[in-house]
Amino acid sequence: MPEYDAIVVGAGNAGSAAAITMASKGLSVLLVDRSDPPGAKNLSGGVLWGNDLSQILPKWQSEAPLERFIQDKKIGFLTEKSSIVIDFKTEIFKENKVGYTVLRSKFDPWMAKKAREAGATVIPGITVESLAMKDGNIVGVVESGDIITSNVVILAEGINPRLAIEAGLREPLQDWEVSVGVKEIIKLSPQKIEDRFNLSSTSGMASEYILGNLQELNVGAFFYTNKDSISLGIVSPMEQLRENGVTHTYDIIEQFKEHPSIAPLIDGGTVAEYGAHMIPEGGLDMVPKIFGNGYMIVGDAAGFGFSNGLVLQGMNYAFLSGILAGETAIEAKARNDYSSNVLAMYREKLENSYVLKDLKTFKDIRKVTNNRNMYTTYPKMLEGILLEMLWERGQPKKKVRDILGSCAADLKMSKLKTATDFYYIYRRM
Amino acid sequence: MLKIAVMIKQVPDSQDISIDPVTKTLNRSMARNVVNPPDVNATEAAIQLKDRYGGEITVITMGPPMADTALLQLMGMGADNGVLVTDRVFAGADTWPTALTLASVADYLGGFDIIICGEETTDSSTGHVGPGIAEFLQCEQATYVHKVEYQDGYFIVNRDIEGAEETIKIGSPAVITITLNANEPRNPTLRRKIEAYKKGVRLVTNKELQLDPTCIGLKGSPTIVKDMKTVPDPVKNPSKPGIEELDKIVTVLMEKGVVK
Repeated sequence: MPEYDAIVVGAGNAGSAAAITMASKGLSVLLVDRSDPPGAKNLSGGVLWGNDLSQILPKWQSEAPLERFIQDKKIGFLTEKSSIVIDFKTEIFKENKVGYTVLRSKFDPWMAKKAREAGATVIPGITVESLAMKDGNIVGVVESGDIITSNVVILAEGINPRLAIEAGLREPLQDWEVSVGVKEIIKLSPQKIEDRFNLSSTSGMASEYILGNLQELNVGAFFYTNKDSISLGIVSPMEQLRENGVTHTYDIIEQFKEHPSIAPLIDGGTVAEYGAHMIPEGGLDMVPKIFGNGYMIVGDAAGFGFSNGLVLQGMNYAFLSGILAGETAIEAKARNDYSSNVLAMYREKLENSYVLKDLKTFKDIRKVTNNRNMYTTYPKMLEGILLEMLWERGQPKKKVRDILGSCAADLKMSKLKTATDFYYIYRRM
Repeated sequence: MLKIAVMIKQVPDSQDISIDPVTKTLNRSMARNVVNPPDVNATEAAIQLKDRYGGEITVITMGPPMADTALLQLMGMGADNGVLVTDRVFAGADTWPTALTLASVADYLGGFDIIICGEETTDSSTGHVGPGIAEFLQCEQATYVHKVEYQDGYFIVNRDIEGAEETIKIGSPAVITITLNANEPRNPTLRRKIEAYKKGVRLVTNKELQLDPTCIGLKGSPTIVKDMKTVPDPVKNPSKPGIEELDKIVTVLMEKGVVK
């Protein structure tokens, strides 16, 4: 008789969501995390879309340590001297608060606390060494020579799932599957944040940029407001970093911070924390077999993340995949069958949810995010068009069509190439 | 079979604390709580004693309810029991009422053959509490110990004294304080931690101890903070080598044939 119905490895959003789902339905759950307090070492950009959280923690909006709700969402391009930004600020976000900035070092310990309250045994400060296997089934975890047994192990190890890789449940990470995120938290008084970004004491702003001012790399950047700090950072594909021999990713974040449209926003702030993390960007192609006899893989460990260069999401996929794995384990217990036949239900549930639907819909998105023109030519083209349209300097005006043509020519792009490129980007986004 | 107590404290991680330039107090808001580092060495010393001579280890802390995680961590290393001494009336205590309260707890729990403390805490660095407990309990003590053995009812301890080491023999019951890095603490294991969480910690309040409220907590604290000063960072001495001098040093060492 195994000691637990389920062991969850990793107290991030996916792991804690799975633990809460199962423990609140009476399953005996062990949630293990390497950090103490649990989850405190976790890191992400910092915008949480918590729609799915209401399923397991209905009061999350009032109880969780959240920073600011997103009322203002910006997406844009930066070139060396310009910023071109769409600023979407809406009362609709205020009426339906689901997007919040968070600091994971506070949020994740809270989630783990909720798992403990739901009845899970939450053990912090322990790194599981390996998975226990018997006759091709995963039967528990191994640590310091002890085997702790369970009917099912839910692997919520995060982006670099060592246990899953060592047990042969997935291949080691490839460069194309991940981007590197580098982040800083910059302390700034709430007063300054609210004045600078035109916010109330609870509302917040989240911007994402394509950096058109870097020569070799397709870099995206983010800038989020917390209560009394700014989370900002850059995201760069591992493949390109390696190809270009770039190891000094902090130089890129410095260039972002020094951009003329960003520097004044953080003026007077002090860097309180910095960190780096990998981000799943391989889309559907990187998703391994996510279930088998006695195990399921959730969250980043399963490669569940979404990025199209302008939108970067992962925590919502973590919550939902954790919940769905938890529900599957509940069903498996009811049938007393934890074999891959029953756990296949987890994959079905994901197929019917936005998690795998999104990854399928955007299966070609890497062709957009890998498109060099998105990061160099088009931001410059946009800048050129706007200069022609909006800048009076005693020259005769041109039609937009002619502006586009001349800008494309200046950037050595044929009209046909630009048109087909736009068409493919349009189709894939 | 030794009855061993370890007195420990949860402190803010010193890596994460800063001094507020205005109030001159410690800014702990960014800091996570950890077990005071020499207390981990004290626990390791207790486990080694138990391993060699047999016994039962009780880790004890006075602090807020959330300090139970510190006890659970040490139980995960190998301590048998955890006792959390928690009560609002104990709050705000300086070292005098802290030592009194902990000594009373030791008494309340039936007494111990040896009580082991860390040499001092990283958040106040007084080193008072261990000797204080010994005085309140009227037992023998040894401070700054890095090695302890048990022979014929006596503890043989090696103490760090400035520039030398002293070996002394003290009778039981004894209080000793262990130096930072006196030993290499083992890691908690998952199995032991699970057992610790199942077992939980025992709570002790002043209902059990029945201490005079004027002798404990803030009321019982004789320390009065008159003033706090922050000391500026030491000015760099240009005659002393800094990082930029490293290359020169390496060159000289290579010339002299010290390194190759």
